[in-house]
Amino acid sequence: MTMPMGEGAVTAAAPAEAWADEREPAQKPEEPSLSAGEWLSRNLFSSAVNSVLTVVFTLLVLLAVRGLLNFTFSEERTWRAVKTNMRFLFTHAYPQEQYVRIWVCVGAIAVLSGLSIGLLAKTGRGISLKKLSMNLMGSGALIALGILLREPSAVVGDEGAVLHRDAAGAAGDSFVGWLDANALTVLGVLVLANVALAGWFHLQGTYLQGGPGPRVAHGVLVLASIGVLIVEQYAAGEVVREPFSEAMSDRAWWWLAAALLAGAGAAAWFGLGDSRRRNTFVPAMHVFFVVAGMAVLSGWVYPWGHYAFLEGEFISEPGSTVAMTTKLPWTVMWILLVGAYMLGRSLRTARAGPRLRLPLNLLWLLTPFVLYWAVLRDPDLDWDHVLTTDIPMALFFAAFGGLAIWFLAHPRVGEAGRIMAVVLVGVAALNWVAAFFGWYPMLQKARISFLLLAVIALLAHNFAGDRTQRMRLVAAWVALMAVFHWLVTLVNSPSTVKTPTDALVGGFSITLIVSTFTLLLAFPMGVLLALARTSKLPIFRVLSTVYIEVFRGVPLITLLFFFNVIFNLFLPQNMSLVDIAGATVGFALFSAAYLAENIRGGLQAVRRGQYEASDAVGFTTVQRTLFIVLPQALRVSIPPLVGQVIATFKETSLLAVVGIFDFLFIADKVISAQSEFLGVKREGLLFVSFIYWIFAYNMSKHSQRLEKRLGVGER
Amino acid sequence: MSVSDATTALTEELAARDDMIVCEGLNKWFGDFQALDQITAVIKEREVVVVLGPSGSGKSTWIRCINRLEVHQEGRILVDGVELTNDLRNIEKIRSEVGMVFQQFNLFPHLTVLDNITLAPIWVRKKPKAEAEELARSLLERVGIPEQAEKYPGQLSGGQQQRVAIARALAMEPRIMLFDEPTSALDPEMIKEVLDVMKELALSGMTMMVVTHEMGFAREVADRVIFMEDGQIVETGTPEHFFTNPQEERTKLFLSQIL
Repeated sequence: MTMPMGEGAVTAAAPAEAWADEREPAQKPEEPSLSAGEWLSRNLFSSAVNSVLTVVFTLLVLLAVRGLLNFTFSEERTWRAVKTNMRFLFTHAYPQEQYVRIWVCVGAIAVLSGLSIGLLAKTGRGISLKKLSMNLMGSGALIALGILLREPSAVVGDEGAVLHRDAAGAAGDSFVGWLDANALTVLGVLVLANVALAGWFHLQGTYLQGGPGPRVAHGVLVLASIGVLIVEQYAAGEVVREPFSEAMSDRAWWWLAAALLAGAGAAAWFGLGDSRRRNTFVPAMHVFFVVAGMAVLSGWVYPWGHYAFLEGEFISEPGSTVAMTTKLPWTVMWILLVGAYMLGRSLRTARAGPRLRLPLNLLWLLTPFVLYWAVLRDPDLDWDHVLTTDIPMALFFAAFGGLAIWFLAHPRVGEAGRIMAVVLVGVAALNWVAAFFGWYPMLQKARISFLLLAVIALLAHNFAGDRTQRMRLVAAWVALMAVFHWLVTLVNSPSTVKTPTDALVGGFSITLIVSTFTLLLAFPMGVLLALARTSKLPIFRVLSTVYIEVFRGVPLITLLFFFNVIFNLFLPQNMSLVDIAGATVGFALFSAAYLAENIRGGLQAVRRGQYEASDAVGFTTVQRTLFIVLPQALRVSIPPLVGQVIATFKETSLLAVVGIFDFLFIADKVISAQSEFLGVKREGLLFVSFIYWIFAYNMSKHSQRLEKRLGVGER
Repeated sequence: MSVSDATTALTEELAARDDMIVCEGLNKWFGDFQALDQITAVIKEREVVVVLGPSGSGKSTWIRCINRLEVHQEGRILVDGVELTNDLRNIEKIRSEVGMVFQQFNLFPHLTVLDNITLAPIWVRKKPKAEAEELARSLLERVGIPEQAEKYPGQLSGGQQQRVAIARALAMEPRIMLFDEPTSALDPEMIKEVLDVMKELALSGMTMMVVTHEMGFAREVADRVIFMEDGQIVETGTPEHFFTNPQEERTKLFLSQIL
């Protein structure tokens, strides 16, 4: 509390309690913000050794960045190869006239994402304007540094004419060309100078005690070193290079970008004025939307060039903006995403908001199946069959199963229920045996429906409850039957989308599809395997251990080959997803073994007391596992689980070995074989790595947030 | 004594309908170590029994046998007339009749206090959710922490957690409550708040079996004190008798060490 000086006498005389009552609630003092200089000297130059490390690693990083920049922006690079094959890389041979289906899929995911984020995501404080403006200025400065660091891209002859455009100067087009002898010498001298300065400060005893002066001096020397490194590459050496002014004017667009970013950051920084306002926060999603919006906008205004490979024709229009078939859909996607997000935000405060959580999660679960089977494949339904067989069968299972569950989930059903459940299990088993020996024909989906019903009948007493509870169970069953029968009908119908290859899509789409389905399959399997392996029943334990050890002991490629060959034997005719399905099953069986081991680790972390407490309140084993043990075990195993998810995502690149045109395969083998881009590989590979990295990095970031939210490691 | 004799003896004893827990000739071994040695005892309805004894004397093992967290190897246990055998249905029935409070609380850390309490009534007792929540809130009121319902166990103090654990056990509306050293893991200033709840529970007529080191509680609340050592029941008696006039040498030694 602030008090004028004149009233000081009152405080002195007043008893302590009165003062305590009167006092405002104590506020945490604001942490003093360090100036840039102070931060540098405390974190980077705090001692002689730290200074040396800072200098050496700064210079190494700069050199590496320069190498990457030279590689990326070299005139040698034909990025046109990537731009032209963009559609090919992402969807392979999906027919162009059906392309709207792809956009429908992307749009559905955009809407779901927007809704989920708006409605459910825990928004933290967001990004402070202070940090945002600093980031803007920082990225502007980074771009500027990049422009300066990049080597001049041409070799200029005696008369000033450009003789030869060559990124890496004297050393030719080798990847380590940037590390020429000249640069190394300069680097060595700079490091030595910095080490000497640090050592001298140290000897003087002024490094730590002597105030910020010596450390600031050292920092200045580091900056000077960077400057020398930049200037060095324009010095006339053995090879005459493009003059500085020309090199810089070539990069005018980049200068503009750097200036815009830094300007925007600076405007925000100074425009906001006092530090209090800089601490206002904007939601992180809004920042993302603005950035994405700018990217979409750039498609309309910036001459990225129009490159495509349509029906055997190469189209190459360097000066124009992107094709309408690219920029229009992306604009729509952006609008859908932002619109859904805003809708989600407005629903968040509404009363229906929390109730939408479950349907939204179910939609996410359903999305992969519907999008792949219904939208991408456009199944050609045989309506006679649907009306005479599929719908009646679904109705039968919904009604019969619903009644059975209604009865079985009655709390007082007792022995009769157990007998009925056992009978249902018997019927289900008989169906499979009969199918195996061919005694009578029965549709696969009837068999699976019986199996599902039998499983639920066995478990029903665990979820028994009052009327509403049972109504909910029955409703869930009816919905499950409707969805399941519909999906199987879709799979069994031939696709109207025809592609030249067996697979419906290829490229990055197949990466996403296969990894999604793999995880959807492997995760429940992994959970069951882990539970079986920790079970008290020896038969489960042995079976699961054998499974895990076998599948972990076999190379993934073997599994892929194996399932690619044999999976055909198990499927009805006219299914066009055979090869993908086989590969997916191979992946799923493989990852399930690894996921199971990760989850087992989590199961072992659940303390004995939790089991005892659940037993003491009378839970059955199923209830204990579902409500108490699994939630805790899964929470603990998030980090290794996400590691496995990322691994699976990247392992899908092995699809190439079973002859599927996957993302990496197209970049590596297909583009480099096109007559236009013979032998052009590096660009594609760099691009592919970048896309993989974006996705993997996001997963890892998301898991970190999830860990924080669920409090992993906190008891 | 043959098996049939033992059965008859028990049936006769069971004529008294207010026998809640009957243990006869319990023996249990951990490996070669005999943890329980011929434990025979009867606990009546509305009785509060405190089990005392040095650590390692088998008190916790005994109390954990009563709701089958440990399996006894010889002898019989009858809880409210139902015998504990390997029959799962009997075990489930007994567990839903018997509430238990642990030394380490063992609350479910991923659920809120309210969910901790309502989960079992909803899924085991098949109570409608609204009813279970109403019950949970009234129980939280009873143990004195109604305002903590939406918090997670990790956000509560030890004493509060133990009171939630008591509420969780009471939510199953048990006829018997077992307490396994409920205050041993608590800081001294929190012991009283838990003991107060237990006293209130005892006064309300709950049948209770309490393993504890709190002599004050035993003296004040217990109807009967059972002293155990080396897996055997050494001495049984009213608190008055037990604390002022112990008969056995081993009891005297124990009391002289702790009082």
